[in-house]
Amino acid sequence: MNRRTPGWYVSRILLHAFLMTLAVIFMFPFVWSLLTSLKTMPELFKPMPSGSIAQVVEYMIPLHWRWENYQQVFDTVPFGTFYINTVLVTVARTIGGVFIASLAAFAFAQLQFKGRDLIFFILLAGLMVPDQVLIVPRYILMREFGWLDTYQALIVPLLFSAFGAFLLRQFFLGIPKDFFEAAAIEGANPFRIYWDIYMPLARPALSAFGFLMFLSSWNEFLWALTITNSTEMRVLSVGIALFEGQYNTNTAVMLAAANLATIPLIVLFMFFQKQLVEGIALTGVKG
Amino acid sequence: MRAHAAPETSVHSTSHRASQGRWGYLLISPMMIGFSIFFLIALGASFVLSFTRWDLLNPPVFNGLSNYRKIFTDSTFGVALFNTFAIAIPHVILRISIALGLAVALNSKIAFRTFYRVVFFLPVLTMPVATATIWKWIFDPKYGPLNGVLAQAGIAGPSWLFNQGTAIFAVVIVLLWSGIGYDLIIFLAGLQAIPRDYYEASALDGASGWQQFRDITVPLLTPTTFFLSVIAVIGSLQVFDLVYVMTRVDTSNRLPTLVYYIYERGFEAGQMGYAISVAWVLLILILGFTFLQFRLQRRWVHYQ
Repeated sequence: MNRRTPGWYVSRILLHAFLMTLAVIFMFPFVWSLLTSLKTMPELFKPMPSGSIAQVVEYMIPLHWRWENYQQVFDTVPFGTFYINTVLVTVARTIGGVFIASLAAFAFAQLQFKGRDLIFFILLAGLMVPDQVLIVPRYILMREFGWLDTYQALIVPLLFSAFGAFLLRQFFLGIPKDFFEAAAIEGANPFRIYWDIYMPLARPALSAFGFLMFLSSWNEFLWALTITNSTEMRVLSVGIALFEGQYNTNTAVMLAAANLATIPLIVLFMFFQKQLVEGIALTGVKG
Repeated sequence: MRAHAAPETSVHSTSHRASQGRWGYLLISPMMIGFSIFFLIALGASFVLSFTRWDLLNPPVFNGLSNYRKIFTDSTFGVALFNTFAIAIPHVILRISIALGLAVALNSKIAFRTFYRVVFFLPVLTMPVATATIWKWIFDPKYGPLNGVLAQAGIAGPSWLFNQGTAIFAVVIVLLWSGIGYDLIIFLAGLQAIPRDYYEASALDGASGWQQFRDITVPLLTPTTFFLSVIAVIGSLQVFDLVYVMTRVDTSNRLPTLVYYIYERGFEAGQMGYAISVAWVLLILILGFTFLQFRLQRRWVHYQ
């Protein structure tokens, strides 16, 4: 590994050249979408010039940085409403989902009760079933509840994550039982023990699962598309997809909308990068 | 450990055990109530409804096996099935091999590791609908940068998203772009778990880097590879939002996949019963492939 021969340097340079090329390809869609979202209409429909790389780069950079495109996202569609809906629904699903899954996970890992393992097994089997099989009966249930096109419908059916219960149970199993018994002797009830002892200890697993839940909820599409139909109830993913489906949409404004939908998650990730990568790795290995 | 605790404390008494049982049911009850309503009841209802003809407005009419029989002769279903697999197979294979290669490269003490890791992971965070919007324009035949670059090389680029073959290619590229980062992170965690002495011992024996990769890294990573391939197969059979945005124009889709077809039959064509029976075929495919992978794992997965 530490043989710094000329051959070692050559192979390192080649490796970096390859990784850098790939990194440029991976970053290109983001850069292109940011730059294009700032272009004016006539500039959008100018084909790329053939010639030197300098000309291509010049072509990619907008002549006039049209920041109004971002304003226009909010003028053309009720983007502010989509945003508020998405934030509201995502936060509710994440907090509720982590709470419900961790409660169950704690009970499955630390408490003794009849049928525990059988119930857990049935819950796990549910992980294999794709949502598409359940979407229609869930839709009917929502209709029976009178919940079509409401926040309840967007939030409640997606609060119950068997995956989360499984993941957090794995984590709780790793905490010695002595903690539980010591607290029980002191007279704490199981809920207190869960809340005061196990939840603080489980922070890495909780934040990893919380982030995965936040990510999937923010990006969720099929259920939101099915269950809502008024513009006021749409979330970002559905709002953008429907907006995109119209012929006369200005591409720059469209891309501005896509960027606005992505930026919060990237900022969130940048803040918690290290913990999240470790947490996600943890979910994969234990998965 | 429990042997050292004081004998017969209140923790082990019968009344305590009963109360622990009550707490157990109480704490799992939110999850299990939700699971029963939105999963168990929904699953049962779905199974029954798959044997009916139903437009959502009138009551469902039982029609036996005819939905399932119809699936076999439905050419659009055949196209959707073909598209789904034409996307899934190259996607799974390329995604896992590229992510594995990158993970091995990034696991060494290489400069800019964190930078590379973040760059490859960013697409994972991007909303599929936003991803599709961006790539739709990258693949635009007239104004897209891809055909612009190809034109530099004197190649007239195709109308990517307008033909089945090139559209499948495009969707696979986008899926790879948005999925490799996730697999990379998981592979990196798997690599961390391989004991360093294995490499040191084989280096003493004069093994080359390639031999180490083939004889140590690949076999010891097989549990991770197995986990990722199960996830990737299940995920690619359910591709929907990406294809919905990238290839849909108004009410028709140029590249229907299974989940798109389920959505379109049920909620747009008003053939709910039929849509549900297609969803059950998807469920059976997913169970079948997962089962097959678990059966085959004995042949290639090494657990330490």
